[in-house]
Amino acid sequence: MKTEPVNNAAYYEQVEADVFAAMQKPRATYWLALAISLTCFGIGLACWGWQIFSGMHVSGKNNPVGWYMYITDFVFWVGIAHSGTLISAVLFLFRAKFRKAFNRSAEAMTVIAVMTAGLFPLIHLGRVWFFYWLMPYPNQRLLWVNFRSPLVWDVFAVSTYFTVSAVFFYIGLLPDLAIARRRITGIRQWFYRILSIGWRGTAKQWSHYEKLYGFLAAFATPLVISVHSVVSWDFAMSVIPGWHTTIFAPYFVAGAIFSGCAMVITLVVPMRKILGIEQYITVDHFESIAKLLLFTSMIVGYAYILEYAMAFYGGNVFETAHFMFRMLGDFRKPYWLMCFCNVLLPLTLFIRKLRRNLVYLFVLSLFVNVGMWLERFVIIVTSLAHDFDPYAWGNPNWSWVAIGITVGSFGMFFTFFLIFVKVLPVLSVTELKEERAHETLHI
Amino acid sequence: MKRFTFDDTEPFLAKLRELLATGTPVERIEVATPFPVHEALLLLKTPVSRLKFFTFTGALTGFCAGFALTIYSATSWPMSHGGKPIVSLPPFMIIAFELTILLGAVASLLGFLYLARVPAPKHILTSIEADGKFAIFVEEL
Repeated sequence: MKTEPVNNAAYYEQVEADVFAAMQKPRATYWLALAISLTCFGIGLACWGWQIFSGMHVSGKNNPVGWYMYITDFVFWVGIAHSGTLISAVLFLFRAKFRKAFNRSAEAMTVIAVMTAGLFPLIHLGRVWFFYWLMPYPNQRLLWVNFRSPLVWDVFAVSTYFTVSAVFFYIGLLPDLAIARRRITGIRQWFYRILSIGWRGTAKQWSHYEKLYGFLAAFATPLVISVHSVVSWDFAMSVIPGWHTTIFAPYFVAGAIFSGCAMVITLVVPMRKILGIEQYITVDHFESIAKLLLFTSMIVGYAYILEYAMAFYGGNVFETAHFMFRMLGDFRKPYWLMCFCNVLLPLTLFIRKLRRNLVYLFVLSLFVNVGMWLERFVIIVTSLAHDFDPYAWGNPNWSWVAIGITVGSFGMFFTFFLIFVKVLPVLSVTELKEERAHETLHI
Repeated sequence: MKRFTFDDTEPFLAKLRELLATGTPVERIEVATPFPVHEALLLLKTPVSRLKFFTFTGALTGFCAGFALTIYSATSWPMSHGGKPIVSLPPFMIIAFELTILLGAVASLLGFLYLARVPAPKHILTSIEADGKFAIFVEEL
């Protein structure tokens, strides 16, 4: 560990040097990671191509399970996106200091995850080239979309979420892009010159900038809650047993933040090591994220229990039968694995030593990622496979194409994230400098 | 144009105070800093940002547009499902809510670009004076 510079000017210089050193020529491990991610991405694209070519039967969907892996993936990736907004916007409004270690990577994660998620409703469509039918636009047949449908709410919620997150990400980057313009030379400099749009940091510019950042944070906070609520209403607005409950919105929002915190840990633990920025993202920062993970895990666990309580005390025979099926039926293995990953395992974070052990946190985060994917799978598939009429029951088909596309989505996510860490500063240099100046200013 | 550059906030603020104390009018001073220095904003009496008007206009437009779009399209192509009202305000509220945020955020961004005078082609094409430093520029008469 390097020694902390005593004077501010030296500290500013060192932060810049450290963060921009991370953007230098990548090492072999980076290329290897990129190659693996790109391969997975390629597999996903090939599978999607095959599905478009041969028809939807290859996706494993059938009647009654018409929503299958793609909707699972969609909800999973939208959920991942949420903690990025939580860390960047909600914790900004609460002035939580530990956010500075994670906010840039979490915001990048949000934008990339929403991009990934946004593809899945299209992959799920039978004729993807007609995706624009989802949008309300004046047309010759005088047709409009049905605004009472939660699927149309989704179109609005997810596209708004993507736009606002991308703007928030870019605005946060702007002063750092201006640093990149100064530090990076050669042909690459033009990239940062153009992106930094001639930012100078005059008093007037900063006064508008701070206002804008505050407004965007204030917009993003209710937005993030609305987006996953709308996603949950895709299910809750129907009458299917297991879906038709009022707790779905808060339950999904908590689950989203839970899975997103896990993904932040999965990404940042190796990132700080590979890029050599351990002194800026410390174990204390990880402990704060781990506490958030533990807290949201308990909300999720409470929701799991509450679902059963409502099913058994509600007096609805279909609901009761459905929850018995969920626990003991054909999908009991993913169900119990989900309970283990999302409810039991995170309880170990009550032990301080484990909270501060990064290897443990990393492994735990992988389990939570798996558990949260399974949660969406269990909710979607068990309800459709086993609704009211035994004559209509049925399980989905096994599908290599659906698995390939799911693997491909991880490939896409990691490919974009790996490009991000080499192209943009992974820590907010400006905020780190500002924090230091506030700590040392004597007026 | 006289120029003073510093590596840290304290000497920068000291010089700024000295300039103001010796009677340099605020209008002739411009500062550029790598991060917001609130003391400098106060010393220079930087007016409160007018960005909120852009934000409010955008958000209000979005809110009205959300209801206008949904009510107009629902009445121009009435689809009756299970006796639900054609103009159902609760679901339309969701569209209005999302558009409030979308247009509010986009209008704030555009307002910011306008007020902060970016993108500035001059500063994109040529290097910026004292880039990354705490700089004070004093316009000479």
